[in-house]
Amino acid sequence: MTVLVFTLILLVSAYLAGLLGSLTGLGGGVVVIPVLTLGFGVDFHYAIGAALVASIATSSGSGSAYVKEGITNIRLGMFLEIATTIGAVVGAIIAVWLNNSAIAIIYGCVLILTAAMQQRRKSDHDGVVGSDLARRLKLFGTWPQRDGSFKAYQLRGVGGGFSVMLLAGVLSGILGIGSGVLKVIAMDGIMKVPFKVSTTTSNFMMGVTACASAVVYIQRGNIVPGIACPVLIGVLFGALTGARLLKKLDVRLLRRIFCIAILLVAFNMIWQGWTGKF
Amino acid sequence: MKIQILISQTLRIGVSIACVIAAVGGVIYLVSHGGDPMPDYTHFSYTDAHPAEYTTLGGIFGGLGRMDARSWIQLGVIALILTPILRVLLSLVDFLKERDWLYAAITSIVLAIIIGNSLA
Repeated sequence: MTVLVFTLILLVSAYLAGLLGSLTGLGGGVVVIPVLTLGFGVDFHYAIGAALVASIATSSGSGSAYVKEGITNIRLGMFLEIATTIGAVVGAIIAVWLNNSAIAIIYGCVLILTAAMQQRRKSDHDGVVGSDLARRLKLFGTWPQRDGSFKAYQLRGVGGGFSVMLLAGVLSGILGIGSGVLKVIAMDGIMKVPFKVSTTTSNFMMGVTACASAVVYIQRGNIVPGIACPVLIGVLFGALTGARLLKKLDVRLLRRIFCIAILLVAFNMIWQGWTGKF
Repeated sequence: MKIQILISQTLRIGVSIACVIAAVGGVIYLVSHGGDPMPDYTHFSYTDAHPAEYTTLGGIFGGLGRMDARSWIQLGVIALILTPILRVLLSLVDFLKERDWLYAAITSIVLAIIIGNSLA
């Protein structure tokens, strides 16, 4: 395969990765890793670098659409960023000792968890009584409704949410993906943040968390230009298209199909990692 | 609400710049190496020396003048990384303006972790 053919195929794959990542809220990195490793036989350590680039591109690309609507809870995101960035630093240190098989198995497990969490009911968590700590940290907010008005929400479980975010950061540092699933477990499951707010805030955090380990990955040579270039451009345009489509499209069916697809990829990853095929 | 529009524009301009720079590198890369066989990405080692043209700031800036494709692409990646960091910086300015010292401190901690880990 020539460089030209590889670059063009990767550009198209990255576009689709950005599109799917934005529509499902999982980020472009989740799709980029299996495309590179299973599709092209690329070493996981290069794929992680590409996933980091994809995560930042998805976050900033679709983020420009979300912030304007005032859905993202910047205070909540910023507070939890302390946990995810510390986690990402630790994750980037751990990653050096992990071989391809270990990374494949960890990635597969995160995918299975992601598929499971996609099945949950999307809740607005009406009538949640916030905790005192959340109040003092000024984490309560409002979010826009369909009719243009703003609805106030409270939240709780600050300590639990913060702990899960540490783990989310570690996984982000190891895998390069935003580990959106753990962010949603923390915000939606533990802290009872309305679904739309937790999705957009998670998207905001994904970019910042990825930045915490990105420079280290450049210095180590994981982010290699021949892969980074088509991934950056493709994912960016995919994410922009996705953010635009998300407002008009009913993505329930797409999410269901995507769910089955990531389960298949997950079992494949774990199996090949376990038998040492990578 | 003003700051949110500023943030939204920062993100858009940031990713556009990153995209254009990376595209310049991509075009140079394809023109000069498009016909070559695909490089071997099947094995990565932390102990191997990786070319400075894409791993160090000095190497990247040094390669720009020579129109080194790797350096241009990597500059695009750096622009992409700087975008969310700039966004956090804007939030810090906003918190300071609101005299929200708690969140100014929290935002500073996040920035310190990112910058500290990048320079270490």
